[in-house]
Amino acid sequence: MSLASVSETVPDEVAPGSNPLLRTIVKWLVSFVLVVVAVVALYPLVFTVLNSLKTRTGYAQNPLGLPVDISFENYVETFVRMDVPRLLLNSIITTGGGLLLSTVAALFIAYAVTKLRIKGGNLIFLFIIAMLVIPSQVVIYPLYETILDLGLGGTYQGLIFSYAAFGLPISTYMLAAFFRAIPDELIEAARIDGAGELRILFQMMLPISTPAIAALSILNFVWMWNDLLLPLVIMGGSDKTTLMVGVALLSGQYDVSIPLISAGLIVALLPVMIVYLLFQRQILSGALAGAVK
Amino acid sequence: MTQIAQSSSSGLSRRKRRMRPELILGIALVVPGIALAIVFKLVPLVRAFILSLYQTRGFEEPKFAWFANYVSMFKDPVFATSFKNAALVFVTLPVWIFLPLVLALLIFQRSPGWKAFRAIYFLPYMIAPIVVGIMFRQILAPDGPLNAFLIFIGLAPLAIEWLNGATSALFSLTSVALWSFFGLGVLTYLSGLSTVPDEVIEAARLDGAGFWRLLIEIVTPLLKPVIGYWTVLCTSSMLIWMFPLIYALTRGGPGSATMLPEYLVFTTTFEFLNRGKGAAIGMALFVFAAIVSAFVVRRMYAEGKASK
Amino acid sequence: MTIVSRQARRIAARAVALTAMLAPALAQDVTTIRVLNWQPGGPEYWTQLVAAFEKANPDVKVELETVPFDRYPSVQGPYIATKSGPDVMENNAGLELFDRRSAYVQLPEDVLAAASDLITYSGGCLNYDTTQPCYGLPFGYQGNVMYYNKAVLTEAGLDAANPPKTWDEMDAACTAVKAIGKTCLAHGMTGVFPAYWNFPEVARNFLTEDDMRAIMAGKLPWTDPKMVSILEAMASIGTTRGWINSSSPSISMLPDGADIFQSGNAAFASTIIADAVNWAAFGAALGDENVGAMRWPVLVADAPLAHSFSGTESSVFGVTPWSTKQEAAFKFVKFVAGVENANLLASVAGGISLNKNVDPNALPKSQALAQIQEIIKTPTLHVGVLLSGQEADALARGWQEVTLGTITVADWTAQMQTALEESPSKAQ
Repeated sequence: MSLASVSETVPDEVAPGSNPLLRTIVKWLVSFVLVVVAVVALYPLVFTVLNSLKTRTGYAQNPLGLPVDISFENYVETFVRMDVPRLLLNSIITTGGGLLLSTVAALFIAYAVTKLRIKGGNLIFLFIIAMLVIPSQVVIYPLYETILDLGLGGTYQGLIFSYAAFGLPISTYMLAAFFRAIPDELIEAARIDGAGELRILFQMMLPISTPAIAALSILNFVWMWNDLLLPLVIMGGSDKTTLMVGVALLSGQYDVSIPLISAGLIVALLPVMIVYLLFQRQILSGALAGAVK
Repeated sequence: MTQIAQSSSSGLSRRKRRMRPELILGIALVVPGIALAIVFKLVPLVRAFILSLYQTRGFEEPKFAWFANYVSMFKDPVFATSFKNAALVFVTLPVWIFLPLVLALLIFQRSPGWKAFRAIYFLPYMIAPIVVGIMFRQILAPDGPLNAFLIFIGLAPLAIEWLNGATSALFSLTSVALWSFFGLGVLTYLSGLSTVPDEVIEAARLDGAGFWRLLIEIVTPLLKPVIGYWTVLCTSSMLIWMFPLIYALTRGGPGSATMLPEYLVFTTTFEFLNRGKGAAIGMALFVFAAIVSAFVVRRMYAEGKASK
Repeated sequence: MTIVSRQARRIAARAVALTAMLAPALAQDVTTIRVLNWQPGGPEYWTQLVAAFEKANPDVKVELETVPFDRYPSVQGPYIATKSGPDVMENNAGLELFDRRSAYVQLPEDVLAAASDLITYSGGCLNYDTTQPCYGLPFGYQGNVMYYNKAVLTEAGLDAANPPKTWDEMDAACTAVKAIGKTCLAHGMTGVFPAYWNFPEVARNFLTEDDMRAIMAGKLPWTDPKMVSILEAMASIGTTRGWINSSSPSISMLPDGADIFQSGNAAFASTIIADAVNWAAFGAALGDENVGAMRWPVLVADAPLAHSFSGTESSVFGVTPWSTKQEAAFKFVKFVAGVENANLLASVAGGISLNKNVDPNALPKSQALAQIQEIIKTPTLHVGVLLSGQEADALARGWQEVTLGTITVADWTAQMQTALEESPSKAQ
């Protein structure tokens, strides 16, 4: 993209203390670059919202411009075609379950490896993070066969376990790296005070690692919520499927209406946006500090 | 393990006393995660490998065929193309790593409205990849908004048919993926930068350090762990991130210009109903991913394993 | 925290299990069948279809498992591989069904009797032969025609009442349409659809039905001069003849290509006769009075099938061998092929039913539809559905590349032959 080349105009003149006029120019240039990137980041979303307000014919005749007559029929149609509350509930259950399970499992392993120093702990850690190199597309078929063998086809558990397994490597990595930075003396002190390992884990480590947990939760929440392949295959078309699959269903075999899909996309996006707006401060300021220690 | 042996002697003696319950607890703590990893990742991978040794014909009973699928895979020119394309995607890795870093630094200098920029940049990441694909299908269309804009600002020669050429299509797809994920990188770097003391940067500025010098000489070394983390994430996920975009935008085309191994596994398995060969390509992808990610996993291991 | 939630989940799971056990006990003698489908004809039609079926069969309840068409194999595939899942499954007719016949039981005589009212049902039977085992019954008819925009033809100085009948006339029409700055044939090539649908329209100029059966059996190589002629003709549409929009190789036909036509910026569009992006959708966008439907122009005037219609059963419904509720499942299959559903298909979905007894008054009034009804009266095999997955894919990718000029027809031919040799369903 042209961004990099634009920012090249910012360079060495930034020397402070030199010409104040130059400083102002540079400041404006920086702002300009940031604004351009912001427009690039926002435009597709605006474009989708605009399209969702067009009728199908209106879109075909005028795909780029503003909607001539604002129409909410696509939103109505979205709610008619898909059981939004049910799908929303399914998405919340499966994403929430996957998130919880992968975090707890990662927390346990990270603690056992970095603080309990169990025998072979490092090998276990290596094994878990090495699972990162197995992409879901490669194993989706045998994964589903395995899930069917376990009798979990079309169940919440099947999807939750899969989400947890695929979220596990990066979660374990982040928590282990975070735990490692916590001085062992703290834990030794707690042990001397007679605290059990579980108490240390839940009452001491857990609160300290909130930033790391928040960070990996965002990471995992976003992909689990947005994932299409796993829920589609594991849930099929059952009524336990997720919102994202519902949106995919808005296009038929031959019937693809961009305005209708746009409306569906906005509906699917809305819960994420609400979470984002509500927790914006936490997400933006503290959360990803977990990646950083 | 050596780590344990090297740890302080007082810790060691205490540990000895608590060995048994601790061992049980340790096992209890690692079992859920290991079980998840084995049942839902390792077992499917092993099953995929076994399947790759079978000749599958539609949904008839598979027949054991040794390495016939691998032979057929290596003869398939699309297979080579898909890995060549994957390598091309990886060539853009530096852009993935440094573009967000530059933006983060610009924001970090407290430009006016930096909070808004920070919030806006993160937005694309929240949007589902399949949604991103559908949005950009419209935006990159030959008479879509991007080209309309380029023509409007007098850059008509740049208004090409983005998805209509072999190189431009792969380039466009990679750019869309970058659009989707750069915000996460910016945020990651910002949180890293927030741990850099202001004085360090102020001192650098008083020193007369220009933007690029600040970036290369001061910030980059200080942010090494963060850059490492972000590189890990990009390397291990780039191809996965591309999949839904290919699905929504090009289906691997035109021709096989945007065919990536993951998409080839998908078409071979589900469109050609050749599960055996699909699994063989999947194994090749696994090996490829393992090689590419080896240094990444090594790094993660070094960072997260028991210390000292 | 986790313990509480685990307990809660366990309790919830028990509650679910309990209701699941109670439900059948309360509503006695009701069998619930699961039907895997992609909702051809749209959700509204399917709601009504299920309601009508349940009304006619109060002892059977239908649970739809609807999967987007383009993701269908990824859901159906594992069901077939693990021999578990729905009681009834939808499937494309023809080769794809034959390929998956292990997942369907042979229809018994009494179910097959329901097929006697259908114009054709051979696509549900092995090798398009109704004397062979049949695995599913169809309900709708599908195929491609060229739609034209009469207003655009008139604007280009052409006679809207006499659209082109031959490729030469089409060339002339395209020159005139392009002269007024519009697209001649609105087209998009991404995905396998466009190739799969347009191929038969070109192929009919070179092939006989025997040739088509040979293609199905994998016995007609792509290096055969007839096949090469088809590929050359297809290539010329985008290259020497220049009928289509230059963006075609990188946009999809549905909706992008169809939208070019719907926006009134193109004279022609080659799409399907039923379901969607058909006469009804185009009529709604452009005005019924502006939309006409014609057979693809003829390239080889004396070719025996050049004036036929390449039609295929839109899809079939069959019963799975692992189903424990086959009796109820067969009832559903029969109902789908029946006249009540035919009338629903025509009136609600605007589809073209295969049932001979469909109520003519259920059909919407549209000139384009009337033209389609004429066109489909001389049916032949649809050679597109006789391609294997590999062939269809290679056809689509090759068409993109040959149109962009990155490969030659000779390269394309070689790729098609490789695809044929790599097709397990056509292995000798």
